[in-house]
This record gives sequence, structure tokens and C-alpha cells, in this order.
Amino acid sequence: MFDTVTSARALMGLSLAFHIGFTALGIGLPLLLLLAEGIGLKTGNPLYREMARRWSRVAALLFAVGAVSGTVLSFEFGLLWSRWMEFSGEIIGFTFALEGFAFFTEAIFLGIYIYGWERLSPVAHWLCTIPITVASAFSAFFVISANAWMNQPRGFELVNGQVSDINPWRVMFNPATPYQTTHGTLAAYVAAGFAVAGVYAWAMLRGDRSEYNRRALVLALAVAAVATPLQIVSGDLSARFLARNQPQKFAAMEGQFKTEKGAPLRIGGWVDVNARETRYAIEIPKALSFLGYEDFNAEVRGLDDFAQDEIPEPRLVHYPFQVMVAAGFFMLFVAAWFFVNLWRTRSVRPGRWLLYAILAASPMGFIAIEAGWFVTEFGRQPWIVWQVMRTSEGATPREGVWVLLIVFSLAYAALTAGLLMLLLRWRPHLFEPRRRFPEVPRVT
Amino acid sequence: MSLEILAAGVVMAGLIAYAMFGGADFGGGVWTALASGPRGARQREAIFQAMGPVWETNHVWLILVLVTLWTAFPTAFAYLFTALFVPLSIALLGIVFRGAAFAYRHFGASEGTELPATGLVFSVASILTPLFMGFAIGAVAGGRIEVEDGNVVSGYVSPWVQPFALACGLIAVAICGFLTACYMTARTDGALREDFRRRALASSVVLGGLTTAAIAIAYWNAEAFWDRLSAPGPIVVMLLAVAGGIASLIVLWRGLWPLVPPVAAGTVALVIAAWGAAQYPYFILPSERISDVAANDTTLRFFLVALPIGSLILVPSLVLLYWTFSENTDPARRTTARGRAQR
Repeated sequence: MFDTVTSARALMGLSLAFHIGFTALGIGLPLLLLLAEGIGLKTGNPLYREMARRWSRVAALLFAVGAVSGTVLSFEFGLLWSRWMEFSGEIIGFTFALEGFAFFTEAIFLGIYIYGWERLSPVAHWLCTIPITVASAFSAFFVISANAWMNQPRGFELVNGQVSDINPWRVMFNPATPYQTTHGTLAAYVAAGFAVAGVYAWAMLRGDRSEYNRRALVLALAVAAVATPLQIVSGDLSARFLARNQPQKFAAMEGQFKTEKGAPLRIGGWVDVNARETRYAIEIPKALSFLGYEDFNAEVRGLDDFAQDEIPEPRLVHYPFQVMVAAGFFMLFVAAWFFVNLWRTRSVRPGRWLLYAILAASPMGFIAIEAGWFVTEFGRQPWIVWQVMRTSEGATPREGVWVLLIVFSLAYAALTAGLLMLLLRWRPHLFEPRRRFPEVPRVT
Repeated sequence: MSLEILAAGVVMAGLIAYAMFGGADFGGGVWTALASGPRGARQREAIFQAMGPVWETNHVWLILVLVTLWTAFPTAFAYLFTALFVPLSIALLGIVFRGAAFAYRHFGASEGTELPATGLVFSVASILTPLFMGFAIGAVAGGRIEVEDGNVVSGYVSPWVQPFALACGLIAVAICGFLTACYMTARTDGALREDFRRRALASSVVLGGLTTAAIAIAYWNAEAFWDRLSAPGPIVVMLLAVAGGIASLIVLWRGLWPLVPPVAAGTVALVIAAWGAAQYPYFILPSERISDVAANDTTLRFFLVALPIGSLILVPSLVLLYWTFSENTDPARRTTARGRAQR
């Protein structure tokens, strides 16, 4: 079967791919709950309270799966990457400890929120959404900053293979942290906004244009429409950061093999690793130099310019990068279309094509997140800690990781099947105020 | 007291909290599997209702233990997950399936889209997880994890397929069942409470028997642990644990319901503390001392300073959570409970 490093990478990739989707909703949905229930309180419109109530049910389900799949990751740090953690644990551990606090706070208030509809006053109940929203964003910050450290390891000294002089603040606020944490956290709001919007676009396409569905659609797309342009700006800043600080990753993203002045921006294309060039791409002359360095004639270093055992596999980086960027611009286009339509008609009357576009954009946030995570992880290879520790050096000495790979693949398949069976029969767009909450007999 | 000893205390405290809170969730699975008699369905439902709001939070104690391990004891973290590759993998599978099964079941119940077998999966996974975590702890205490020159050299099964470790696995399951039954007596009444009282009494006898047996087994199967148990410190903690067990029996017998959960939780804390006291100053018996596997002082200092600061937010939040949901969960009485809340 597969060797340990390949199996460990495959299983870690599978586990993260599974986990990331749930975390995106775990960060994005609380903001939607905060807004929906808050608007309900402010306007007295019962539709919004019902909206939050229905969303909170699915939030409970998805957060639970997010929590257990996150536990899988913390076990896998030891089961798959014990040598990496033996080296890195004391360096990035503090960051994870703070993440632990944030996650703890989130879980506590989530429990109160989801089970407290009848027990708390409406205002107290709404107030719970604030710590959930804030704590989940902090969780994202801490975890992504640990990942940023793997890209820009700082805050320690290495003397004869021994770690010393650790500075946890420099670890946490390494140069990549502001770019990665912003990009990774905003992505969650984009993904959650479009995912929720898709549900209501689908309901409208089926002919149910109730006030409830229209209001839910506008709210979800409003969050997405604020987050998406910010996300594209943060993506641009991230790319410029990479051009200067991780040029191998930047070159792989752009399919740039030769070092070149006035390099073109390549859209799409086929990465020919044998000929060392990217063929058939739409090339925008000098645009890459400008995007990377704000100068049309700047020199962009190509992959051939680096030690060949220290560069990533460009096909695993260039294609996902194209997917991420395409998905991002498609979502920007859909959000703009919806709100221009809203402004011109002064009402929520999206046409069929617009609704289909929203439906198509619905999974795009997740696709972009997964693709972007491929870019950052494959782009860092062959390092687990960039230019400090190779991925192959970080794996467990145990053999038999392939057994875990098979067992957990089956487990994830079972979890996904169960989740789909639950969600495909779920009808969040049907507003039936009294169905689930009959009058409670009073006891005196 | 040195920093690494404090940090080891945090690991111990985290494990105790995980046992006291998370253990009761696993016990929920035990008693879901063993629900019986004319009120079997009501027993299951009451447990299900009681766990709903708190299980995710209870589970975070485990995350706290893991994070403390790899931050403060990265070397031990690597040793443990290498040496205990098999039992920890199985415990992880159990965690995944029980969490998912509970969440799926809850969602299905509230939305009318139940899936088959979620109750069964929840029960089986809830028993397997503490069982294999207990095996892992038994391996750490039993002294069969061999480390040479910074490499784990013991095999996949030899550290934990040992009579002593197997007994520890059973103790872990018994602890969970005991806690849940005790906690539920304070959240039910009438015949249902009587059901849980009988289960609590039975499991306390089982727990007492298993721990006694484990100590006897340690004499010939876990020599290092046995030697350390006979020191004055561990003996005092053990005697306290025995006293706790007797106190649990008394409060259960006399029906002093508000006292049952704290006394039961205290007993379990003392049982685990006795293990910790016997291990001290070793992290992994028989060779790895706490100081051998600890992180550097800067990391430990940052971690130990962050802990009380974080607790300023955490502890009041936890109190709020448990206070909000500390009422009767008997399904036959839920409507009245809700009526009270409304009034």
C-alpha cells in the first residue's frame, strides 16, 4: 500500500477538506444569526426570529460535525505528524491554546443559544450571538496564524537542531499572519452567505416567493456582497505578499517557469512540466509583474530559478488557484447583479437567470475555500515548516497509516451520506409559524 | 514549584474535568444501551435531553488536554501518539461517530427526518471511546511504553494489551456509567429517579470492585505503578477516593439528591487524582520524567499565564451554561417545566 508519508498527507488532506467546509459555516452562520435575530428584535417582524430559529437548528448540526472533525485533526497531529509536533508543539502551542479558549467560549454560548430559545429573554438570547460570532472569528484567526507560521516560521532560534529563544508573539504575528488570517476568515462569510442564499434562490425557482424567502435571500446576499469585494482585495494583497516572501509558491500559482521581466498574467492554460512552460493560457501582457510588484517591467522569478528539490509541484498549485480566482469573480458578479437588480426595480424580484446564477454561486464559496487551501498547502511543499522541516521529516515513525486512511475514508463517507440524507429532506424555506411550537399548557 | 510540574497539573486537571463532564456524556451512551424496564424509552429520552445543550462543551475539555500536551509536553505528545497509535485511533473513531450520531439524532428529532441506527451508533461509540482511552491510560501507568534514545520502540499492541491496561479500560467505562446515573438522579424524580438510583448503586459497586482488582493486578502486571502506589501521597489520595465512594453510596441510599452529583464527581476526581499522584514525578512510567518531556520555560510561562486570564471568560460562561440547563429532563415532566419557564 501507500507509504507512511503519502498516506499521512492523503488522510490529513481528507480530514482538513472535510473540516474546512464546516468551519466556514461555523464562522459565517453566527453572523447571519446575529443579524437575523437582531433585525427581528429591532423591527418586531416575527419572520426574522423564525429565520434565526430555523438556521440555528442546522447550525447545531453543522457545528457538531465541525467540532468532531476538528478533534480528528488534533488527534492526527499526533497520529500522523508526531515528529512535526515534537518539533513545533512548543512553538505554535501557545497559539493553539488561545484557540482552545476561543473554541470553548464558542461552544458554551452555542449550547446556550441553540437550546435556550424558551429559557432566555429574547434580548438575552440575541446577545449570545455576539460571543459566538466574535469567538468563532478569533478561533479562525488563531488556527490560521498557526498555519501562517508554517509558511513564515519566525519567533524561535534553531541551534544544532534544538529549538530555543521562543517568542510566542512573533510566532503568532509572523509576516504571513495578517494576509492569511484576513483572507481565510473573510472566506467564511462569503461562503456562508452564498450557501444560505442558494437555499432561498432554489425555493423561489420552485415558485415560492414568500416574503420570508425574499427577506432571507436579501440578508444572506447582503453579507456575501460586503465580504466578497473585501475578499478579492485581501487576495490581491496576499498574492503581492507571496511574490516577495514565498516566490516559489507565487511562481507555481501563476505557472511561471522562467524568470522574466514584464511577465504576463496567465489565465487558465495547461501546465507542461516537461517543456517547463504553461501553454494555451490567456496571457495578459506584463500584468503579472504589475500585480506582483506594481511595476509592468518588474522581474518575476520562475520555478526554474530555484533549487529543484525545494519547489512545489506546479500543477497542484496553478489549477486550484485558477479555480479559486474564477469562483471569487463569479460570486462578485452575482452579488453585483442581484443588488443592481434590487436597486433598479426597488423590490426583490430576481428573474430566473439571476436565481440560477445565485444557485450556481451557492457552492462556489466552499469550492474557493478548498481550492485556496490547496494553493497554500501544496504551494508550501516540500516543506511542512517552510525551509525548516520537510514534510517527509514530520511524519510518524509508525507504519500502517494506510489502514487509518482507509478506515477514516469510510468514516467520512458514512458521515457525509448521513448528513446528505438529513439535509436533503430538510425544508428551511417553508415558513410555518405554529407547526413546531404548539401552545404550552400552563401550570399554576 | 517548577513550571513543568504546574503544567502537568493542568493536564491532570483537564483530564479530571473531562472525566467529570465528558465522562457523563459517554455514560449517557452506556445507559442508552442498557436502558431497560417499563421506563426504558423515558430513560433514554431523559438522558438525550440532559446531554443536548452541554455535550459539545464537555467535549472541549479533551481539546484542552490535547493542546496542553503538545504545547507543554511536545515530546510526550509524540511518544504517546506513537506508542498508543492503535487505541487512540479507535478512541478517535468513537469520538467522531458518537458526536455525529448525537447531532444527527437531535436534528432528526427536531425536524422529523430521523435516520435509522443513530441511537445504536451513539451507544456503541460511547462505550468504545472511554474503553480505549482507559486502555491508553493503563498503558501509560502500566509501564509498558518503551522509549530508547527519543524513539518509541514498543510495538503496536504490547503496551496496552495487558491485564492492567485492560482493567483500566473497564474502569473508565464504569466511571462514565456511574457519573451519568448519579447526575440523572438529580434531574429526574419518581420512578425514573429510582431507575437511575439503582443504576448508580450498581455501577458504584462495579467501579469499586474494578479499582480494587486493578490494584491487585498492578502487583504482578504493572510493577512500577505498584511501587509508586505504596508511597504515602498516593495512599492518602486513594483513601480519600475510597471515602468518596462510601459517601456516594450513603447519599444515594439516603436520597440526598442535590448532594449526589457533587459527591459522585468528587469521587471520580479523587480516583483519577490517585493515579496522578502515583505517577508523579513521571509522565510516562517507568522512564520518562515530567522534566524529561517538557517544553522550554518561555512556552510554559506564556501558557501558564494565559490559562488564568482565559479562565476569567470561561468559568463564568460555564457556570451560565450549566445553570441555564440544570433542570428536570424527564420527558413526562417537560411540558410542566416549560410551563414554569414561561410563567
